[in-house]
Amino acid sequence: MQLFKTPNINFMKYRFVALAVTGVVILAGLLNVFFGKGLKMGVDFGGGTLIRIVFKNPTTTSEIRAELNRVGLGESVIQESGQPGREYMIRTLQVINAKDAQQEIEAHEKLGNRVIEALRGDDGKAETARGLKDLNSIDFPGLTELLRPAFRDGAEELAKSVIRYRTTKTTGSGIIEDYSGLSQAGLGPDVIRELQAKTFLGKMTVVSKETVGPQAGADLRKKATLAVIWSLIGMFVYIGFRFKLEYGVSAIITLTQDVLMGLSVYSFTNREINLPIIAALLTIVGYSINDTVVVFDRVRENLKGMRKEPFEVILNRSINQSLGRTIITTGTVFLAVLSLFLFGGKSINDFAFLMLFGSIEGVYSTIYLSCPVVLFWTQLFKKKKGARR
Amino acid sequence: MKKGLRWKILLTLAVLIISIIVAWPIQDKIKLGLDLKGGIHLVMQIITQDAVTMETDQEILRLQDLFKKNNIVYSSMTRSTPGKFTIQGLNPDEESKAREQLDQYLRDWDYSFSSGMATVTMKAVAMQLMKDQAVEQSVETIRNRIDQFGVAEPIIQRYGREQIIVELPGVDNPERVQSIIKTAAVLEFKLVRGYSQTDEESLLKDYGGKVPDDMEVLKGDPKAEAGGYFLVSKVASVTGKDLRLVRRSVDEWNQPAVAFQLKPDGARRFEQVTGENVGKQLAIILDKKVQSAPNINTRISDSGIIQGHFTIQKADDLVLILKSGSLPAGIKTLENRTIGPSLGADSIRAGLLAALVALVSIMTFMIIYYKISGINAIVALIFNQIILFGSLAYFGGTLTLPGIAGIILGIGMAVDCNVLVFERIREEFGTGKTVLNSISLGFSRAFRTIFDSHMTTIISAIFLFQFGTGPIKGYAVTLIISLVANLFTAVFVSHLIFDLTHSSKTQKLSI
Repeated sequence: MQLFKTPNINFMKYRFVALAVTGVVILAGLLNVFFGKGLKMGVDFGGGTLIRIVFKNPTTTSEIRAELNRVGLGESVIQESGQPGREYMIRTLQVINAKDAQQEIEAHEKLGNRVIEALRGDDGKAETARGLKDLNSIDFPGLTELLRPAFRDGAEELAKSVIRYRTTKTTGSGIIEDYSGLSQAGLGPDVIRELQAKTFLGKMTVVSKETVGPQAGADLRKKATLAVIWSLIGMFVYIGFRFKLEYGVSAIITLTQDVLMGLSVYSFTNREINLPIIAALLTIVGYSINDTVVVFDRVRENLKGMRKEPFEVILNRSINQSLGRTIITTGTVFLAVLSLFLFGGKSINDFAFLMLFGSIEGVYSTIYLSCPVVLFWTQLFKKKKGARR
Repeated sequence: MKKGLRWKILLTLAVLIISIIVAWPIQDKIKLGLDLKGGIHLVMQIITQDAVTMETDQEILRLQDLFKKNNIVYSSMTRSTPGKFTIQGLNPDEESKAREQLDQYLRDWDYSFSSGMATVTMKAVAMQLMKDQAVEQSVETIRNRIDQFGVAEPIIQRYGREQIIVELPGVDNPERVQSIIKTAAVLEFKLVRGYSQTDEESLLKDYGGKVPDDMEVLKGDPKAEAGGYFLVSKVASVTGKDLRLVRRSVDEWNQPAVAFQLKPDGARRFEQVTGENVGKQLAIILDKKVQSAPNINTRISDSGIIQGHFTIQKADDLVLILKSGSLPAGIKTLENRTIGPSLGADSIRAGLLAALVALVSIMTFMIIYYKISGINAIVALIFNQIILFGSLAYFGGTLTLPGIAGIILGIGMAVDCNVLVFERIREEFGTGKTVLNSISLGFSRAFRTIFDSHMTTIISAIFLFQFGTGPIKGYAVTLIISLVANLFTAVFVSHLIFDLTHSSKTQKLSI
């Protein structure tokens, strides 16, 4: 099977139109970043506390906000994540007037605890007073101790099964809705009776709590920026060395464009920038450079066989020759990322979104930035030797 | 079979078998990152200035002692900043004597004299060394504490100049862990010279409202004692360094307490102090707070207990902390992440599903598009994944959520290798070359492209590994391994399969 024979499209003819389009997108993005909505920094880079909570019964965003409003934390960002109506991410956004960084991180930790306390409310207070433990919050050692009097040496194994059931349930993982579900975990009626006598099922469980202080946030920001810049420089040097200087220059301009385009699009989507997003940007850069190298390699090869042709024709020819490969590769990558986007879960969704955009953008940037830059360079510096090299 | 093919087959099989052995069973051999497994991730900063300050104070005490012995007169010696102190009111005639002492005993310090005053500064090299040691020692102490706390496979490592990373898989009690790590645990026993429940002034009444040179005022720990202010000797009779044995015990009211025994040297001093001061109080001080101040009823030789209204857990934690020694400097938290196991389980499920869907859809496409050669690509892809997990297990790499993304990028690049090669083979075959010729030309022509594109990405991933933190590092690791494995599977192994399935007699090429 073959989708098409090698086409003969005059890509370079539209290079000025394409450059204009690129310029407009990046300009709009930059304007938005600096004067508009800006880039939303997630907890990794912006600092603060991020809490994930799973509720036993479906809850709405407005119910949560009402609870938080009562304790003056209504400004927090509340996002549904994962299981609809059951799982929420809450990020505190209160401004903290702290004297130093240490106080600030402690204040952030306290804010997080206040959110948890406010949402828990009076739930479980009566039960705790009677000496019962919350089966939805208890940890493995605690549960083992609880079961030891009745089951002696078997307690550890039983506690392990209960915790495993709690963490790996396919719906509502992290929280047990009712005791009858435990029989699925292979627990006998005697164990369930013992648990019912000694525990209760709390209304929610905190599945994660992350606090990043101002210093760490700034540090992570600096490290991520350094990582991106150095890897761009590394690619520039390699390509400049393996091909020619102008190819390296064009590669680094292209990759800068990839990063800027990615950030521009991201700035319009209201998503937060976290560490994995940096990984996504770098993946885009990775695919894009791969694409660029494939085309440049064709150019390198064609330069030998097509000495009489003008450079523009060689470029067009090379792009067309590798077009079949480009479309197939991009298509398969797109498939892989689409599966991440659809099935990868909330934690990776933002990442996959950026990759979906990037996999297409990488091809565009190769054709309409890498190649034109080399062309301009050649026309600018190599005129005296004729328009080709 | 052609010559030369045999060793290629052997090499491929050997790599494959070793990978499988190393990575099997996979759930035991592949380490999962905290984002997938759950646990606590802490980034902490060692306040190394503390160690320098402490050293400066100690040197001042030492120098005061030396000046006294040599009858050098001065009015005061005070620390101005960490690593710097001034001596005031020196007699200019005795300057050379003072210089002699400084030259002989304070070798790590620079000094300058000017009209009866001297400024003494710690040398930059010495200060850096001291800070480094403080960090190293802190890491060691924290490691001891965590080991005794009983966590499987903890990671405690230095990160940058003054920071450390602590990762504790499977632990979800950040408050307790932080207090165990951050407690300085400087234990001192000092004689009590005065006590006031309410304020400092009444304490100093007998001394003319001023703290005498050889004493200091400390607060009682309100959680342990009733609080209040203690006037105690500046010099500790016995410190945490003299401890030989610490364990949880109970006091006379059956409350949890911490019992200790002293080393012979400390025991001698303890015996002397308690013997000479029967009837007085001895303050037990932890991190500059008085825990308790029992009366000395009789001469005590080498053991005692520390009371402080502890719970059993608190007493256990104190035992653990005292056993592991004190920290040379203060510690502050920069980052504190606690990930529950259920979140990780969700991510693994989602990540695996996504990877599986990606693999299956790509494989289906390859077979439809490249027919029998597509199978070749699939075999290479499966080999690639086996080698990837084998290498991860062998190098002890950690699989994180971004790491899974790195694997998916790797799969994409692997497919790209196959596409590049197959398209070239088609091209060559289209120009009327023989099957074997087309195959071998296809591979050799595509190789340069594949090599350059892989090298570029590998170079950038190496920088990511170097500069990146946690998740980005995880991404870089899987990406680098996948790409190196690609160069082997998509070029070497795939070529080998073509060679095995096609001979010079083969006329048709299913591609």
